[in-house]
Amino acid sequence: MKQFRPAVVQLRGVTKTYRMGKDNVVNALQGVDLDIHEGEFVAIMGPSGSGKSTLMNVVGCLDVSDTGEYILAGENVGKLSDDQLAAIRNKHVGFVFQTFNLLPRLNAIENVELPLVYGGDRKGRRERAIGALEAVGLGDRVHHRPAELSGGQQQRVAIARALLNDPAMILADEPTGNLDSRSSAEILAIFQRLNDEGKTVIMVTHEPDVAEHCKRIVRMRDGIVARDELVPRQRNAEHELREMIAAAASHVLQMPAARAASGAE
Amino acid sequence: MKLYDAFRSALQSLIVNKLRSALTMLGVIIGVAAVIAMVAIGNGASQSVQTSVLALGSNLITITPGSQTQDALRGAGPPAQTLTLDDMTSLKEQLGPTIKAIEAEQQAGNWQIAANGTNWNSRVTGVTEDYPAVRDWSTQSGDFFSDSDLRVNAQVAVIGATTSQQLFGDGDAVGQTLQLRQVFGQRARIINFKVIGVLEPKGSTFGFSRDDQILVPATTAQHVLTGRTNVVSSIVIKANSSDDMDNVTADVQSVLLNRHRISNPENADFTVTNQNDTLAALQGITATFTLLLGAIGGISLLVGGIGIMNIMLVSVNERTREIGIRKAVGARRFDILTQFLIEAIALTGLGGILGILLGWGITQVVARIPQASNLLLVITVGTVAIAVGVSVAIGVVFGLYPAMRAARLHPIQALRYE
Repeated sequence: MKQFRPAVVQLRGVTKTYRMGKDNVVNALQGVDLDIHEGEFVAIMGPSGSGKSTLMNVVGCLDVSDTGEYILAGENVGKLSDDQLAAIRNKHVGFVFQTFNLLPRLNAIENVELPLVYGGDRKGRRERAIGALEAVGLGDRVHHRPAELSGGQQQRVAIARALLNDPAMILADEPTGNLDSRSSAEILAIFQRLNDEGKTVIMVTHEPDVAEHCKRIVRMRDGIVARDELVPRQRNAEHELREMIAAAASHVLQMPAARAASGAE
Repeated sequence: MKLYDAFRSALQSLIVNKLRSALTMLGVIIGVAAVIAMVAIGNGASQSVQTSVLALGSNLITITPGSQTQDALRGAGPPAQTLTLDDMTSLKEQLGPTIKAIEAEQQAGNWQIAANGTNWNSRVTGVTEDYPAVRDWSTQSGDFFSDSDLRVNAQVAVIGATTSQQLFGDGDAVGQTLQLRQVFGQRARIINFKVIGVLEPKGSTFGFSRDDQILVPATTAQHVLTGRTNVVSSIVIKANSSDDMDNVTADVQSVLLNRHRISNPENADFTVTNQNDTLAALQGITATFTLLLGAIGGISLLVGGIGIMNIMLVSVNERTREIGIRKAVGARRFDILTQFLIEAIALTGLGGILGILLGWGITQVVARIPQASNLLLVITVGTVAIAVGVSVAIGVVFGLYPAMRAARLHPIQALRYE
């Protein structure tokens, strides 16, 4: 139904082998074929050792495949040098990591600006960074450092950073892995909103609950794509978030003493 | 990455680790300060040696009797009596206008001096009338003696400023009489001299006060004081210019060899010493001295550089994850390399500037030490430029390896680094 849209990711027979020590050879990817088109929201799942992390590294141009072909946004990136890959990452890939990976010494704006530091103009950089932070609901926290922000807020800064260069795709590696359920719902809601706006989102996760917020699930096993299916009923994070807030509110209303105590502090 | 961002990020990381940056910089500060101060002291020594030598008069060629001279070091042995006043007269006639002035001297030894109810002990030298022209040394009061004084062995004296002060206090010495006394067992010789002039004060050279001496006509010294008639202990020529000195030296050689009927210059019974050679020899010594001091400073600079490398390696290790993040968002190898290199250069460059200030401070302190009072401490623009250049170069050299290690990190490994 979406086949008329251009492909963002095209993998053909991609293999990757790691050599751990002298004799231990790990065949992380053993011939992966995968197409992801513009506007898709894909979850990549699989048990550890299934090759999903390696797949994410290759798709995110952090690593190159041994054999096979990878075309990212129309460019063959299979045989590029480190520096060329860096430029591709800068232009086409927005990373969101499980551990947020913000630079602790920089404030929110400076963290978000980073992709433009390595590619782009200094002119208008700050305004764009502030714009991106406002888009993820952190317009009032732009001068805070990561240590002054909650986990959910840090991850939102990371998403703002990923969005800044208007990449071909957002590549999220267990983005809710370090977050409580409410922050997770917030992050997933942002991803869904971005996807609704047409952004391609690829998310690596091992939690089925989280994967059901995507539109399509690719399951990896032993270095190949084992199953590739559409999600029959996509869960709505925005809706869940509202329910959570309502539940929390009624919980507080049922305990006026506790509320009074916390208000007195 | 733009240079602006590289600088900003470098300064930021230096500010975050204030204590560490300061301690690391201290190595460079001490190194640069050591180089600056040491070279300044060396240059100062060199300059004060030069001033001392030139204070004896400039463009001087000295002819002494007897033993051979090599590299301005006079051979041992009693001085032969081969030079005469006639030699001087003959040189004066034959060299004519190719020289500025010529004089001859005879050392008459130390004498007890009595005048004005006090007594003193001073060196007495017989000189000829052009002494002031050769030595660039005129009288502050009275006059120098003339060739007519020499012809008649006049018992007149020109005395140094210190001698005048000792004998006559603040009063005018000119016109006064002083007595030269020498005691031989039971008998004493007492000779009266009339003071006709007082020399300008000149300070001391190599520890000898030049203002405590008595000059008398050379002929008077020969006939009245020493009895060594006609013989002189040195002839001093002032050349027209420094460039002229080699020519004049050669002319003096040939005139004197001819007069003394010596065909082989190796057998010359006199020695011609060129002031340029003396200066060159002394400057060779001070240059070695300066080099040695500079090398000591250089070693501390090297140690400082190793400190920089050490701390940069620690910093790269600590910030592996940061490097991974930067690479993930698109930093190229060159971007990471410049970031860490600029950080190292900022450390050493700032250290260099502070080191120059500290070095300057050290020279100010040294200048206040009494023993070094006549040492001119010279910090030249060249020294400062070299110090800054060297400290920046040290930043590049010792920062390069850590920066290259950072640049070569693989993004995945760097991101996973705990």
